[in-house]
Amino acid sequence: MLTTLDLDKRALIIDYCYERFGIMEHIFDNYNWYIGSKNRIYIGPEEIERLIPESIGLCIFRLDRTPKPTTNFIQLFGKEITKNIINLDRDQTLDFCSGSDLKITDSVEPGFVSIKYKNISLGCGHWNGETLKNQIPKSRFCKINFL
Amino acid sequence: MTKTQTVKERIVERYSRLSDDSRKFSNIINKPLKQSFRVNIIKGEKEDILRQMMLYDSSIKKVPWCENAFESDLTNLGSSIHHFSGQIYIQELTSMIPPLIVRDLIKKNKILDCCAAPGSKTTQIADMMENKGHIIANDARHGRIKSLRGNLDRLGITNTTVTLRDFKSFPNTKADLYFVDAPCSSEGTIRKKNAVTRKWKDYDYERFSRMQKGLLKKACEMAPKGSTIVYSTCTFAPEENENVINEIINEENVKLQNINLNGLKMKKGITSWKQNDYDKDVEKCRRIWPHHNNTDAFFLARMEKC
Ligand SMILES: C[S@@+](CC[C@H](N)C(=O)[O-])C[C@H]1O[C@@H](n2cnc3c(N)ncnc32)[C@H](O)[C@@H]1O
Repeated sequence: MLTTLDLDKRALIIDYCYERFGIMEHIFDNYNWYIGSKNRIYIGPEEIERLIPESIGLCIFRLDRTPKPTTNFIQLFGKEITKNIINLDRDQTLDFCSGSDLKITDSVEPGFVSIKYKNISLGCGHWNGETLKNQIPKSRFCKINFL
Repeated sequence: MTKTQTVKERIVERYSRLSDDSRKFSNIINKPLKQSFRVNIIKGEKEDILRQMMLYDSSIKKVPWCENAFESDLTNLGSSIHHFSGQIYIQELTSMIPPLIVRDLIKKNKILDCCAAPGSKTTQIADMMENKGHIIANDARHGRIKSLRGNLDRLGITNTTVTLRDFKSFPNTKADLYFVDAPCSSEGTIRKKNAVTRKWKDYDYERFSRMQKGLLKKACEMAPKGSTIVYSTCTFAPEENENVINEIINEENVKLQNINLNGLKMKKGITSWKQNDYDKDVEKCRRIWPHHNNTDAFFLARMEKC
């Protein structure tokens, strides 16, 4: 069951996107915002009366105590992200896509990060200064043969 | 003799007299289909994506009648980085045709995809709409809704509402365009690796036909005046194609429209099959024969609500 997301929570996410990833607010113009089970946040088209949807639009965040971006979000808005990006090499990419955490060195601030291989946005990771925790949903893990 | 060969032989026997060249028809049925894919421009520049893909796949070739469609000699592009990132979608070429024949109507409109899972056409339509407008993607099967949801997530589709309903009991919903990509005997996908291996009986075609008429009737009833309905199947069986359309144009307030797609060879719908004659207008439907464009087989009808 989806309900409209209140304006305070929407503002919280938009501010987080700007502060953490440098994403400009106008990117979110023209979307309707919803919240569903497990505090999942969706952006999408208008709700239609009388339809009981399974989902509307795309799940872009989870909002527990703090906002957590989804891999859907990082992949779709990757080109708008200007900071807190970790670039992987070929072998790291293979490991990351198959679901592994990575021991790497990087100077980005701890927190959620956008993971890239060349200019391809791979998804979301969580960086604690030592380990890059994989945040890709299990259903998307893949043994990559071509890159 | 394997089970698949038997099915192929039966298809040749049942349909080769409808085709214009039975020898070419029966030859191509035995040739495997190449893998084809569509570039999802919601997730990047087409030229960029292709340039990168060419580094691991030099066999990629453009499809002349669909600007974002390509063929490859590789059989497992599903394990490529570009599939992982949602920049490509693996899709049969024929499956890309229904959105293309109404390309003029797609932008920014409201679209109801009545039998949408796993979302090949939904994701294609969303791409053509540049993720704007509104698609309602419905399917009756929970398991298939999951794969639809997975594809929408992977491709980054934001303009789609997903519903789980038997379309025959779907609430009346006004849209500009309705897609009825109906469940069918799927005989036209016989060249695919995991093609249907069942030999259908006459009563199976009747069962599909009843189901298809029910779904299409419902779409025609809820469609507002001036809106468009596209019916499609991936089967050769006239029982599921012209026969369905013949009944619908006689019973519903819809008229058939012409269909054209530059660069793709299509044949008219047939007007008789076994003991049945169909309305002359049924010729406006289109059949795609595998030997004409080196594809699967497909059937299409485009109707306007009057
Ligand atoms: C040919 S497939 C659709 C393929 C889809 N349009 C695509 O491009 O990926 C037919 C679909 O119709 C669904 N279906 C069957 N009966 C249905 C019904 N009564 N209402 C809605 N969907 C139904 C099936 O679950 C199946 O997913």
